[in-house]
Amino acid sequence: MSAHSTHAYTGEAPKVWPAKVNQIPKEVFGDAALFEEELKKIFYGDTWHAVGHAAEVPNIGDFKTFDLGRVPLLIARGKDNQVRVFFNSCTHRGNQLETSVSGNRKEFECPYHRWLFSLDGTLAACPGSKEFAPDFKQENFGLAEIKTEQFLGLIMVTMGNPPPLKEWIGESGLPTLTALLGGDGRLKLLGYQKVRYASNWKGYNDNDGYHAPLLHTGFRLLNWQGGKGFQRMTENGHVIFEAELKPATGNGFLKDPSLIAFKGSNPERGSVITQLFPMTVMTKHMDVINLRFAIARSHEVTEVHYAYFAHEDDSEELVQHRIRQSSNLLGPCGMVSMEDAAIFQRIHIGNQTPGFAEFQKGVTSLTEIPMDVKQNDETGNLPRWEHYRKVMGFKREGEQ
Amino acid sequence: MSQAITAAHTSAIDALHTAYVAALDQGDMAAWAATFAVADETSYFCISAENDRRGLPLALMYDDCRGRIDDRVSFVTKVWVGTYQPYRTRHFIQRLSCESAGNNQYRVTSGFMIMMTPEGGATTILTSGEYRDLIEIQGEGDNARAVFRERRTVYDADVLPRYIVFPF
Repeated sequence: MSAHSTHAYTGEAPKVWPAKVNQIPKEVFGDAALFEEELKKIFYGDTWHAVGHAAEVPNIGDFKTFDLGRVPLLIARGKDNQVRVFFNSCTHRGNQLETSVSGNRKEFECPYHRWLFSLDGTLAACPGSKEFAPDFKQENFGLAEIKTEQFLGLIMVTMGNPPPLKEWIGESGLPTLTALLGGDGRLKLLGYQKVRYASNWKGYNDNDGYHAPLLHTGFRLLNWQGGKGFQRMTENGHVIFEAELKPATGNGFLKDPSLIAFKGSNPERGSVITQLFPMTVMTKHMDVINLRFAIARSHEVTEVHYAYFAHEDDSEELVQHRIRQSSNLLGPCGMVSMEDAAIFQRIHIGNQTPGFAEFQKGVTSLTEIPMDVKQNDETGNLPRWEHYRKVMGFKREGEQ
Repeated sequence: MSQAITAAHTSAIDALHTAYVAALDQGDMAAWAATFAVADETSYFCISAENDRRGLPLALMYDDCRGRIDDRVSFVTKVWVGTYQPYRTRHFIQRLSCESAGNNQYRVTSGFMIMMTPEGGATTILTSGEYRDLIEIQGEGDNARAVFRERRTVYDADVLPRYIVFPF
């Protein structure tokens, strides 16, 4: 699946962006050296990144591990019920502290020299410390925390200095994200689907979330139509989307149309998406609540952990409905989204060619980044590309 | 193996496993569905070992009635065609246990491995895992035929190496 860019990025000469705002140079999708720059400027830069939801670690001692770029993280709920995000590295010699994907611990012990950390990160024990360096103080060697903020349980981290989280998401995006998180963030984890796509993270991101329904034959077969809605973008690359979904009966195509019934959600707000820069897609589609925690593994591999949730107040019947709808609708094998997954990989292969990815639908100006787009326009991606271009420091053709 | 099982039943269970593998390795979704009972209370689940171990109910494929199994066939054969990158599979299975569950039914567990070959590509492992089945013998003697009332596929991969079109 690997391919070579015809214009290898050297890390020295910045890429030049075309003057036309609806063109994206395809060389940004296949470049290993560029990926290293993106790690520094975006993934370790002044941007918040979603790494989990508090509902994934509901009990004291629950933890999950995750990666931000190549940086291993350990997310744990302490005895004080606080969820903290640590670097998953012993503060002694740097050994990876926790190897499991998830679990429950009373404390975290590094097997190398038996340093023992409490759930709140405090270094509780370190055998033989009498012989440690003269300036050693046990209280200085608690687990290092990465800067963290939460919004309704959504755990965001950064290694840089972005604005406070709510400001960074933007006032205009908060009501949609709130609705998506069940109104109050009191979610209950149903489980995961985890997959690696042979796709650059930007290609994944450009085609996940909302895109033209033309791809989905199923929508037509099921007579499954969207209604009115809106798409809103922010200057720093987020996309907020809401649309009505007309309840579908399956048009006789399905033997079991109960799968696509609305049981807990208002169809008027049937499809709700928050896509945060650089690569977090979250959606509530019908009765599916799905947060996609993504990891940019390399310039050609993107890993996505689809986490699905119910709401704590759901009836048992609704939980059961969410389980079967979530399992079958939106993941890497989902009735709707298997096709998306196919596109992530096909577009990555197609992008290893010279020239530009061209955006068309909804483009009204070749020089202005569109900020006012219609629900079905593909131009919703352009402000994010503009933000990417600026963060990466790429100049536009003709720009000084 | 339970002593109670007859040669005819063992043979029927073997034939069912073979039919299942043959169906998927030939990409024949109708033949895949035909290995399941026609009764409404028939199910196919495909779930990650992580979810299974943690008691999380979410699956990759959640077909909790016969209608869902038929709808999966419709989606693979009628809706997704032309979208996905084709891949061929080879399933290898090894029966681990077989116990009578009464009423001509057996709880059968098998290990499996699925090799995958994308068109134009090399062969790699898609995943391994375990089949946990409730198999029913229908008919008597030489006419005995086995079908799945429930197949629970628990796959080992914590992270799948690609998107998935076909059942495991």
